[in-house]
Amino acid sequence: MAEISLRNVVKRYADGFAAVNDVSLDIADGELMILVGPSGCGKSTLLRMIVGLEDITSGDLLIAGRRVNGTAPRERNLAMVFQSYALYPHLTVFENIAFPLRLRGELAAPELERKVRAVAETLQLTEHLQRKPANLSGGQRQRVAMGRAIVRDASAFLFDEPLSNLDAKLRGQMRTEILRLQRRLHMTTVYVTHDQTEAMTLGDRIALLRRGELQQVGTPRELYARPRNLFVAGFIGSPPMNFVPAAVSDGRLVLPFVTVELPAQLRAAVGARRHVTVGMRPESFEDARTRDPGAALAGQGVTFTARVDVVEWLGNEVYAYVPLEALQPDLEARLVQLERELDSDRMRNQLVIALDPKSGIRGGEAAEIWLDTSRLHVFDSESGERLQ
Amino acid sequence: MSDHKAPLWWTLYAGAVIVWAVFPLLWMLSLSFKDPLTFRDGTPAFLPEHFSWASYESVFADALFTSALLNSFAVASIATVLSVVVAMFAAYAIARLQFPGRTLLLSTALAIAMFPQAALVGPLFDMWRGLGIYDSWLGLVIPYLAFALPLSIWTLSAFFRQIPWEMEQAAQVDGATPWQAFRKVIVPLAAPGVFTTAILTFLFCWNEFLLAASLTSTDRARTVPAALSFFTGRSQYQSPVTAIMAASVVVTIPVVVIVLLFQRRIVAGLTAGAVKG
Repeated sequence: MAEISLRNVVKRYADGFAAVNDVSLDIADGELMILVGPSGCGKSTLLRMIVGLEDITSGDLLIAGRRVNGTAPRERNLAMVFQSYALYPHLTVFENIAFPLRLRGELAAPELERKVRAVAETLQLTEHLQRKPANLSGGQRQRVAMGRAIVRDASAFLFDEPLSNLDAKLRGQMRTEILRLQRRLHMTTVYVTHDQTEAMTLGDRIALLRRGELQQVGTPRELYARPRNLFVAGFIGSPPMNFVPAAVSDGRLVLPFVTVELPAQLRAAVGARRHVTVGMRPESFEDARTRDPGAALAGQGVTFTARVDVVEWLGNEVYAYVPLEALQPDLEARLVQLERELDSDRMRNQLVIALDPKSGIRGGEAAEIWLDTSRLHVFDSESGERLQ
Repeated sequence: MSDHKAPLWWTLYAGAVIVWAVFPLLWMLSLSFKDPLTFRDGTPAFLPEHFSWASYESVFADALFTSALLNSFAVASIATVLSVVVAMFAAYAIARLQFPGRTLLLSTALAIAMFPQAALVGPLFDMWRGLGIYDSWLGLVIPYLAFALPLSIWTLSAFFRQIPWEMEQAAQVDGATPWQAFRKVIVPLAAPGVFTTAILTFLFCWNEFLLAASLTSTDRARTVPAALSFFTGRSQYQSPVTAIMAASVVVTIPVVVIVLLFQRRIVAGLTAGAVKG
């Protein structure tokens, strides 16, 4: 196992397009680092640069302290699981897993056999060893691809959206399996995904990319609680964060539906700005009537009345939708842009509120909603940067 | 495998096609067993009246035919092996590598395939005599290679393109050199293409008549299609038809055997299961 360091790494194509732009990232020994972002953000390109399938235009890539920019993939001693699995269809499962060992040719036959069987045992593939990939199910193929990666003592493991071809149920199952394997083998891992749920549940740390640039690196909790800008805030969390414009006057934030005291810790950061963009997670809201009164002490909050037009009941949660009036054109344009980048359509002209299923709020009624003002995220309206 | 029954007319249609295609072959087979002296007598019948091996005996007694068989085998095999090996590397380069002149190479290959062979016979005849390779295996292998390569390159590069590039990248990440990745992953996956190409090339060389007749003069290099045209009966006054038919049957057999042999390797959809599904 080894640590991986990226120093100002750039990938620029011949037409001048920078797929990866000035990314610096340190992945510690044994860490599970997630590269996440919407499609086209450069995360896969970055991964392929680490493994050596893409050239690095400029910057340094260090594996275990050694600069490997120009070395061939086979000399980097990394193992990779491809999105398409890339199993060798003419070889049996056994030979697929044994392939990297045979290429090295260092192991005697019994030792090789023992290793492959041990890996197959771990991944529950023992009974399929003599079958060809074509006769396996999607989940089994996925495990063969993993087996081929873990059978040799690679310095690090790279996963390129390994679960995207599986159905939802299997995906959850394999996610847990990968996590368990990673923890047990204590392997340095770089994992690419576009799914924020996968990123949040798997990663020790998450690196969020947008158009080839690193937006924020941190633990899932950090990204969730303190997103550095509008993009990070909108990407992390499901349903996504609500964004509304707010006017600042006399130390108060005037939101379209309620006016709140500007929290003390934000006053300095907001400074002389007249307008800001405020983000609120759906779970920062509660039904004022069913809220536990004791919790009021934990944070400050305001209660307001809003007309709920639609309610979605999910069993463990209820999503209530509150329509908002049209936003100012400039914020509207910014949010449209953000939505397009995030493939989402829920950000404008409505609030999404996550309520306790005990709540009796029904669609088409006015409701008393409580908002936890200590959990507001305030962003600069121009740059989209977080104010704090 | 689908279980639903094909309609009756489909069977009848297939039957008609088979009869149409197979009848000349059966006619050839039947003629080859007819008595060379009397096969024109009486009313023409499909089946031989007197079953006779005489034509086969005369064919194998003829040194021209046996040496022609050997020449055909040698020339076709050498040309096929060379063509497939060269085409494999060329097609791989065309399918995978970006290099200047790639499209030029492909279009040149196509242009060669479109060039009429007859136009080449005269110049080649002169050149080969000058070079001293007239009436030799080499003199046939070279033009065969030139005519077989374009088709081989086109077929093989289509096969190489079908192989997901990720196969090769996976092999490289697994620790293979580019050559190992090519040999252990790409070549096995392209095997159906290689065998298809080999069969096509072999058939082309085996059946080729124009160059074989023009660039050879003796049994040193004359191949079967050319030799057939020089056949005579046992005497000048005997019709060579039955002997030619017998020889044709003999030369058809190896082709059928080779196709059946290679066909087992042409497993369509070998790459199934390589990637998601």
